[in-house]
Order: sequence, then structure tokens, then C-alpha cells
Amino acid sequence: MSNIKTVLDETPFQTAGPFLHIGCLPNSVNIRGVIDQDLGSKPFVNKSYDNLITITGSVFDGDGQALDDIMLETWQSDENGLYSSESGFARFVPDNLTKKFYLHTVKPGFVYNFDGKIQSPHISISVSSRGLNMTLNTRIYFEGDDLTNDPLLSVVKKSRNDISSLVAKKIEEDIYLFDIFLQGDKETIFLDI
Amino acid sequence: MVDSLLKRNPKTHPQLDFPDYKSSILRAPKNKKIFFSSTTSEMSGPIFNKNKIGKLDNDLTLNFSKNNTLPVGHKIIVYGILSDQFSNPIDGALIEIWQANSAGKYLHQNDKNIAPIDPNFSGCGRSITSSKGYYEFITIQPGPYPYPNRGIEWRPMHIHFSVFGKSFGQRLITQMYFEGDPLINLCPMINSIPDEKARKSLISTLDTSQSNKKKLLAYKFDIILRGTNQTYFENKKEGL
Ligand SMILES: [Fe+3]
Repeated sequence: MSNIKTVLDETPFQTAGPFLHIGCLPNSVNIRGVIDQDLGSKPFVNKSYDNLITITGSVFDGDGQALDDIMLETWQSDENGLYSSESGFARFVPDNLTKKFYLHTVKPGFVYNFDGKIQSPHISISVSSRGLNMTLNTRIYFEGDDLTNDPLLSVVKKSRNDISSLVAKKIEEDIYLFDIFLQGDKETIFLDI
Repeated sequence: MVDSLLKRNPKTHPQLDFPDYKSSILRAPKNKKIFFSSTTSEMSGPIFNKNKIGKLDNDLTLNFSKNNTLPVGHKIIVYGILSDQFSNPIDGALIEIWQANSAGKYLHQNDKNIAPIDPNFSGCGRSITSSKGYYEFITIQPGPYPYPNRGIEWRPMHIHFSVFGKSFGQRLITQMYFEGDPLINLCPMINSIPDEKARKSLISTLDTSQSNKKKLLAYKFDIILRGTNQTYFENKKEGL
């Protein structure tokens, strides 16, 4: 028989609220001297920053307003599809004038999953903000990559016909557009990760 | 054998679409989230180097004080154990906190609340859990504060927590409340959690023995991140 362990309830989420910068990005709101450098300002410290891709976009609410009081976090493999606990994490906020975010990073490679299946290149992304009782999670895939055999996308296709909200559009060489729509006709597909 | 994070229980987490919390109306997605069993992308995650944490990072009464002047308010200790759903302690995990000062004011340009800023208090702190999953913060009791919701409502006293476990799928952002605060039951952000026991799990308890020993009020707040299920694959891949 299997050994039965008590399963406790996970601590519930609560909204990150409008002042999340104080704890997560203190230097960005001029709180100096507590933390030297805000966490996740560069996803890969050791990579040459000459041949990076840029992912840009905005996060829109149900009124079509681009938001700036939000925090985005990304987690990804390196260009060879390998995860390392030391790099691959980024944390950023949209510019408060243009409401656009920019992520400069390496393009992730194809990732082997535990079961031997291969995942198409992707970046996990989360959105935390006032008004969101839980952090939202989704994935960024890339236009131009082979997405036909990706295991997660095949799960998504079972319930949604249109997976385009998960695919960043190539707008220039090495520049991708990835907008996130919290609501509305174009609502992004969010994942229960 | 394949590892997967336990599926989240919607009864013990807040509902996204909860109109009593007005800000959720235009931000909560309307479609159901899509569940899938964890991949390498959710089972891996960043781990932050202990060396990057400064000595005073977890002492909010000192890490922003000028000329050794303490911030105004009651000094408290907030501590607890970080573990997973199977009671395994989680070591080396980064916990970040942020909070209002004793007057209920955040050091943030978007805080329009009419209350004084405390020049010796930023409300920012962080800590890394010990080998037994223990964490501790020394801080100032945060004040309640008003915010526009259905007219003006009051947030109960709280501290915001951001927790990294061992994987991106364990990531948690939450808030801790204080035992005995009458504002807790009125708060729509707390009441958006359907399960009563889960709501109560966000309320820290006053630990009188620790309080007496350390001569400052001690509040205990244990945090539980998702556990990992190990399941055997019954179907072998073709060709194996
Ligand atoms: Fe708050």
C-alpha cells in the first residue's frame, strides 16, 4: 500500500496590491539603501547582451486601458533549453508613460520534458497587480517556431480553438510583440500551472 | 516516475472575479484557466543566493533608519515556518515583504492616504529561510488604512508576502493579517476565499511565550507552498 501522508492546504493567494514595488522593486520607487539591486533586473548575467531578443507589449484591462501598476515575472531556459536555478528569472514593470514593458533576454531553446517529450521554446510569464486576487500565469511562445508538437499547446487546443494569445508576434528581426489582455474578445489564455 | 505539483484547490484560493472587490471587475479574466500537469518549466525555478542578503534586510526597524533613529510604532517580530503541503520544510527560500507604516501610510507616490510618512521606515524587507524552513522579520506593527472600494473601506492591518519556493510553480504572493483585528471579517479581499479555514490560515497568531522572551510582540505566520506528487507512468512510450 502507498504511504498516506496528510496533505495540508496551500496558503491562499492575496492580491499584490498597488504598492508591490516597495517589497519587490524598491529601487524603482526610490527606496535606496535597503537592497543594492532590484531582483531579476537581468535574466542572464553572464550572457553577451549583443544578440538578445526583445519582447515588448502591454497589459490591458477590460476597458482596453494599458496598465502600469502591475508586476511581470518571467522564467525561462537558456538558448539550449536548459534550466538553471541561477539564471533565467526576470522581474519588470511597464514604463509609466508608454505603458509598454521590455524584456531583453536570450531566446529559449527547445526544452526536454520529464517524459521525453519536447516542448517548443517558451517563456513562463506571470502578472501580479491590484485587482488580481491571484497572480495570473501564461506562456510566451514565438511566431516562426515549430509549435505543432508542444505538449502544453496540445492540452490548450482541446478546449480553445485559437491559441494566438500565447504566441508572440515577430515585428522585427529579434523583436517580438506580446500583449496580454486580462478580459474582452482578445482575453489571453491563462494557465492553472 | 514523474513529478507534478499538486493541483490548486479553488476553494482555498480567492476567486478572481469577485465584484465586492471593485478593482477585480475590470481585471479578473472571465474564462477558466487551463490546467495541465507540471512540466520542467513549472518544476524548476530561480534560487537566490544567501550571500546577496544583507544583515539588516529582515530588520525593517533598522534597514531604513537615519542616524539610528527608530521608526515610530510598536516593534514586533513576525516569524514562521515555510513548508510544503506534505510538511517538508523549505530551506533557502527568498521571502520578500512590504507594508504600511504605523500610521497606515506606504512610502509610495501612489499612496494618496492622508497620513504621515515615517522617514525611518520604508516597509521593505526580505529574508531567506533556514535549513528548517524558519524565517523571521523584525518590523513595526502596520496601521490599517482606508481605500476606495464601495465608498471608503478599511484594510485590516496586514503585511504583504512574496515567496519563492524551489520552483516557479510554487511561487506565492499573499498577505498576512493579525489575530483579533475586527476589520478582517469585513475585508472583501479576504472574503473572496470561499473556504473559512483557508481564510483563517492568513491570520497570524500572537505568541505570548516568544513575546515575553524577546520583549516585543511576536506573531507566528506559517506558510505552506504546493507539494509535489510523484506518480508512476503506467503507459510506457511507444518503442520502449
Ligand atoms: Fe496593502
